[in-house]
Amino acid sequence: MFRVTYRPSTSHWLFPPIILGILALLLAVMIVQRAIECRRTGRPFINREKMRVFEPGCDKLKLFGSVALFVLYIYAMEAVGFLTASIAAVFLYSVLFFGVERLKEIPAAIASGRPWSNGAFRSVCVSLLLSVLFSTSVWYLFARVFKITLP
Amino acid sequence: MIDFGFIHMLMAFVGVVVGIVFGALPGMTATMAIAVFLPLTYAYDLHVSLFLLLGLYVGGISGGLIPAILVNIPGTPSSICTGFDGYPMAKRGEATRALRIGITASLFGGLFSLLLLFLFTPPLARVALSFSSVEKFLIILFALSIIAALSKGNMVTGVFAGFLGVFFSLIGQFADNNRMRMVPDFLSVDLRNGFQLLPVLIGLFALVQILQEAEGGMRDDAVGADLSREVKGFRFSDFKGQVVNLFRSAFIGTFVGILPGVGGSAASLLSYSQAKNFSRRPEQYGTGCVDGLIASEAANNGLTGGALIPLLSLGIPGDSTTAVLVGAFMLQGVQVGPLFITNNLDLWHVILSALLLCNFLMFFVMFYPIKYIASVIKLPKYRIFPVIMLLCVVGAYSSRNGNMFDVWTMLFFGVLGYVFVKIKLPVVPFLIGFILGKDLEKYFVDSIKGVGGSLSVFFTRPMGWVIWGLIVASIAWSVYDSRRTARRAAAGNGGAQA
Repeated sequence: MFRVTYRPSTSHWLFPPIILGILALLLAVMIVQRAIECRRTGRPFINREKMRVFEPGCDKLKLFGSVALFVLYIYAMEAVGFLTASIAAVFLYSVLFFGVERLKEIPAAIASGRPWSNGAFRSVCVSLLLSVLFSTSVWYLFARVFKITLP
Repeated sequence: MIDFGFIHMLMAFVGVVVGIVFGALPGMTATMAIAVFLPLTYAYDLHVSLFLLLGLYVGGISGGLIPAILVNIPGTPSSICTGFDGYPMAKRGEATRALRIGITASLFGGLFSLLLLFLFTPPLARVALSFSSVEKFLIILFALSIIAALSKGNMVTGVFAGFLGVFFSLIGQFADNNRMRMVPDFLSVDLRNGFQLLPVLIGLFALVQILQEAEGGMRDDAVGADLSREVKGFRFSDFKGQVVNLFRSAFIGTFVGILPGVGGSAASLLSYSQAKNFSRRPEQYGTGCVDGLIASEAANNGLTGGALIPLLSLGIPGDSTTAVLVGAFMLQGVQVGPLFITNNLDLWHVILSALLLCNFLMFFVMFYPIKYIASVIKLPKYRIFPVIMLLCVVGAYSSRNGNMFDVWTMLFFGVLGYVFVKIKLPVVPFLIGFILGKDLEKYFVDSIKGVGGSLSVFFTRPMGWVIWGLIVASIAWSVYDSRRTARRAAAGNGGAQA
């Protein structure tokens, strides 16, 4: 009981099962705690009505868009290089976070002949400018000045 | 004698300013600042890098008071109580006064904790030098048990998160026999040395925050107090009668910093509640009382030195930010632990000097131009976070001098951390478990292999008994505290219902 078998050839499998055992034990304790609390308060163990992954008002487009854009960014870096991919990614992230729905205002703003008076048009232009500026600065600082390897 | 020149001063200044900006923007923290800027340190030696990193640390913790006072949103978790009294002061036209009181209290807290760091780290490290692998194993176990003791209301969950972090750290090759475990064949090259610390850190602390902000719609709530209206200005006489409050709060902050995985919010809350308990005018707390503001700010900057004490003496990070500093040391090939000061006396002096300089820089950078610095809270999130994302990718990619797998690792841990937040599994214990996991295994195996696998080795050494006593005490305290909290909550609910 108070002894474990130590063999150098299999010692890499000595500790992980112990940790897994502790995790299983802690999980069981959490389940029992929850069961006791539910019994005491009369609440169901699994309350399907209150089970929700996302809070009301959650912006799923921005959330999932962020993850999807990140995956695309990784592939783009390998395909077209760091600088080009980063300019595109920073610009797309800026537009996504600003609000894609506001892009609808832009055609009308251009058609009116005074696009600069429209906030969405201005924001997209500034985003484009900043994405070029920031990405180039980061690339120059890390790759050229500090000689750090970039994709 | 340590090298000090223009570049050191410049790095400290840049670190403090950037740290303040990160601290001042709600959703961005000192931990994120250090994680994102870690790649910059590859270009310099550790001496210069430490001025930058400690500047980011001090600035990041201090900057949190700006939005807490001006818009009642703490910029960092450690400023959670600053707004309780700072914001009411700002609303009645004392914004600049409140900010300057907070900055001065922050300076005091930082310097006090630096003094304790200087006094207590070397003797603690000397004690730790006599530790065998048994005591080292038990000390890490003690660190994990403290996480339990201070995970208020969710003790078991905190320990579970800590051991889950340990489990993730075991993935990869075991150094004793060079055999792989828990790695699918197609990842055997990328995961030979397990998950790298830096991508894990950036994923857990930067990417999670970006995903949470994205979920919330990247809304900017920074509409707050008017700095141009000044009804009452700052005077150093505002600190008259605050000496005890200053010392008590700075001490609480430093003490909380020493405890692994507790975090700045606990320092701020504990210090604020103690100041209120000892106050002769507790009814004024929350209405714009200077005492509460001083308590919160002296405590959160007290963290900075406190969290470095266990890191530099035992190799155990006191908070998430010092956990990132472990990454900086590892990247430069320096081992933190009991031998750190003996083997790296110059680095020890650099840390003390850099902290001293950064605290004073923080004061001068924030105190006089505070009206201008405060405007950083108006920076829109949709402009800041894309750039942070870019820096995250650079940081993760360059952690092993160019490896795209580390960028995928960052994304994986970002999503995992986001899931943790959703299921209310604390991230900091997970990270501390991840950092300490490999050492925990190493010391466990080292302890038993010389005694034929007998586990009684953990109960035979007198120093081990002392550490077992501390482990049992921390668990007993956590059970007692958990029950007391539950009873209070039940009484509160009963009162509310009545």
